[in-house]
Amino acid sequence: MVEKLKTVGTATPRVDGLERVTGRATYSADIRLPNMLYARVLRSPHPHARVLRVDPSRALAVSGVKAVLTHENCDIVWSSGDRANPRRLFNNTVRLVGDPVAAVAATDRHLAEEALKLIDVQYEPLDFVLDAEEALEPGAVEIYPGGNLSPVFSFTNPGPGKREPSIYVRGDVEKGFADSDKVFEGHYLSKHINNAQLEPRVAVARWEGDKLTVWTPTQGISSCHRDISTSLKIPPEKVRVICQYMGGGFGNKNQCQDSDLIAAELAQAAGQPVKLELTRKEDFIAVHGRWPTSQYYKIGVKTDGTLQAIELLGYSGMGPYKKSSGDIAGIDFYGCPSIKKEIYTVFTNTAVGANFRGPPYPQGVFGLGSMMDEIAHDLKIDPVEFHLKNFTRQYRDETPYTSSGLAECIRQGAELFEWSRRWSPAGSGTEPIKKGIGMAIGGFGSNLGRSSAVLRLDSEGTLWVHVGITDIGTGAKTTMALIAAEAVGVALEKVQVISGDTDRCPYSVGESGSRTTSHTGGAIVEAAKDLKAQWAANGLPEGDEELIAEASPAPRLQGVARVAFAAHFVEVEVDTELGSVRPLKYVAMHDSGRIINPLTAASQVKGGVIQGIGMALHEQLIYDENTGIPVNPGYYGARVMTHLDAPEVEVHFIETEDAYGPFGAKAVGEPPIVPVVGAMANAVFNAIGKRITELPMTRDKIIGASS
Amino acid sequence: MKPITRRSFLEKSGTGIAVAGTIPALSIPVPQRGSSPDASAPTSQIQLKVNGQAHRIEVEDRWTLTEVLRDHLGLTGTRLGCDRGECGACTVLLEGKNVYSCSYLAVWADGKDITTVEGLARGDELDPLQQAFITHDGPQCGFCTSGQLMSARALLNDNPHPTEKEARQAMAGNVCRCSNYNRYLEAVLAAAEEDTSRG
Repeated sequence: MVEKLKTVGTATPRVDGLERVTGRATYSADIRLPNMLYARVLRSPHPHARVLRVDPSRALAVSGVKAVLTHENCDIVWSSGDRANPRRLFNNTVRLVGDPVAAVAATDRHLAEEALKLIDVQYEPLDFVLDAEEALEPGAVEIYPGGNLSPVFSFTNPGPGKREPSIYVRGDVEKGFADSDKVFEGHYLSKHINNAQLEPRVAVARWEGDKLTVWTPTQGISSCHRDISTSLKIPPEKVRVICQYMGGGFGNKNQCQDSDLIAAELAQAAGQPVKLELTRKEDFIAVHGRWPTSQYYKIGVKTDGTLQAIELLGYSGMGPYKKSSGDIAGIDFYGCPSIKKEIYTVFTNTAVGANFRGPPYPQGVFGLGSMMDEIAHDLKIDPVEFHLKNFTRQYRDETPYTSSGLAECIRQGAELFEWSRRWSPAGSGTEPIKKGIGMAIGGFGSNLGRSSAVLRLDSEGTLWVHVGITDIGTGAKTTMALIAAEAVGVALEKVQVISGDTDRCPYSVGESGSRTTSHTGGAIVEAAKDLKAQWAANGLPEGDEELIAEASPAPRLQGVARVAFAAHFVEVEVDTELGSVRPLKYVAMHDSGRIINPLTAASQVKGGVIQGIGMALHEQLIYDENTGIPVNPGYYGARVMTHLDAPEVEVHFIETEDAYGPFGAKAVGEPPIVPVVGAMANAVFNAIGKRITELPMTRDKIIGASS
Repeated sequence: MKPITRRSFLEKSGTGIAVAGTIPALSIPVPQRGSSPDASAPTSQIQLKVNGQAHRIEVEDRWTLTEVLRDHLGLTGTRLGCDRGECGACTVLLEGKNVYSCSYLAVWADGKDITTVEGLARGDELDPLQQAFITHDGPQCGFCTSGQLMSARALLNDNPHPTEKEARQAMAGNVCRCSNYNRYLEAVLAAAEEDTSRG
């Protein structure tokens, strides 16, 4: 257990709680500027088509319509929109239903909507392909010349690589299978789901001379700033990005969005500020969601359950633009001498597959976690015992972890959940309502890296903390304030966090990869050392004096791996006649190192679990195979979780001591969703004795499997 | 075929969409107007009482209540999440009942009494629900929070001591994608314990 600290580790309501409950919190959509125009985007109704003609003249003739952009007068490449090919704001060819064809700025939002209908577009529809595996078959329409296999891309090497599968190998899987007593095979499918954060995409752009200010919800003002500067080819000091409050994102608001650039270009063309608001439907089909996967596993074990070899052949559907890795992850949570993983990331004519909370994990743990459960079941080994035998001791069996509470998460979780008492063999309950329990393990990287912080201590004793974070909903502002208060040694009430504005804050890594606490919190701790030294040497400042300290550390882990771990346990009730699944009890065990704020950290876990249950049971963006049109964009169609569906989630932290990061804190935001779908699928199996191999586990599949 | 506009859709469906879970018992009078909904922006003079303050405003008939509150009265605490009656971020109290203001035309609200999130506190004194939302960490991203508060307020006005099940039912039309449902429920039940006397 970690040593108790003064401020860090105390359950603390958010420093901006009052703003959030009184409606005073200012989100980007609340910005209203004098002379501001409203913008709307015309989008392709076809999944794949050439734009033969686009004629905005009838729209431009309407009084109040101030600017129209199309591919004919706007050739801007959205620099972070695709890592493989130049993706323009308006592409010709259009490659998915929802690809922008034109944008209108008008004096009124209704006028802008009406004007869209007056833009004449002639399309030549092309063949299209929706499924990743079909897209690789001979004869499939080529979305880009040279075929649909997309280039390898990784976050450590962000440039476009070769068009080849991503391959990871260790040991010798063929030998591993030969040495195994039993070999298991399985095929698992996950579907495209949308982040569906409550705040839709919006951007307000204003030019003052040659300086552009963009108010936009972004999970990284610094990266958004860089992307806008790069895409529009304007110097960085001429761009200001502001995001004071944002309504979630879960990976949907990484970097800049094309809407930021379109708003800026319309504002430039019209000579007036522009607000571009995306509708909920546009957010579902034209931003991005979790990539769908097809996962073929082959796993060899000894009869005592010891893993010998894991082979994964996977396909991920990325839509027509490559914004993220497309990986299928989870194998690293297990120790195993021989691994072969081969992932094909494929262009398709669907909504873009990119970051959504724990991007490659929940779907990977669904497939792999189901396989592990199947093996334990077949070998008649208790799943808890099976996991205690096989969980990862060293990262990829070779690199020590800075800390690991995974064993404790599994052991204590099983006890708190009363696993043994609840356990009964798969499918043994009586019809029609059957109970079952399941578990899965997971985690998420907690790397260190570059961020900056500027601290100012004034003569009133107020500590001003300038950090380039945005609080996506994690409570990051509060976390930063707690870390600063602890590190400098002042009361939390004396801390003022200045964030979300590139003109007032230094670089921060951005709210992705669960990195804000480690990176930017780490920078605060570094700056605080300097500030405290100044304080000790010079005493408190007087009058207009201030003590100022800054730090831009870029720590790197060497020879160690840093990972936050989790083990989840769930009991479900399955109605085999109605096909419904209801979680009854949920225990989430997390090792995130030291917990900076137990209140908000537990909220993160609870939310991640419930989000994951939605992915397990309901959510899927369904495409009409004949037309390539998504048929259920929106909350109702996606069947996201509601108050009626959400179980009470019991959260426990195993606070391992970790020598890295601010006070030993590891990642919190993404780990909670990682094991959920696997645990739910295993609980459903335990209930009905049949394994659902395709997400989501909707009623039709449950009834089909039960009868 | 005439294109479907929001106005024609809402009028044909004959009702605004009440927040799911609160049985849509509101009967909403649909004002009869001569002009075609597709003609260029007919307007009406309406009176609203918002958070106790009377307003007389000229509105386009196609404007929703959300638009009028946010864009014309500056009450941006009411959020717009889906603009189609699915998420509940825009929930306000209309004559004490919670309604989706995105699916309620401003002209229908003529003469009505409306409460938004800005009207919950009395001066510096927070509504017990607001205080409980802070203490129990209800808002994560906070975008659904105003709507959650308004549905919770409607619930406690009708039913000062709800059971957990009643609270879930009453709030079912308010989606939280951060999925902080445990916290919101805790907060509502805690506020109900503390004080249910307010309207």
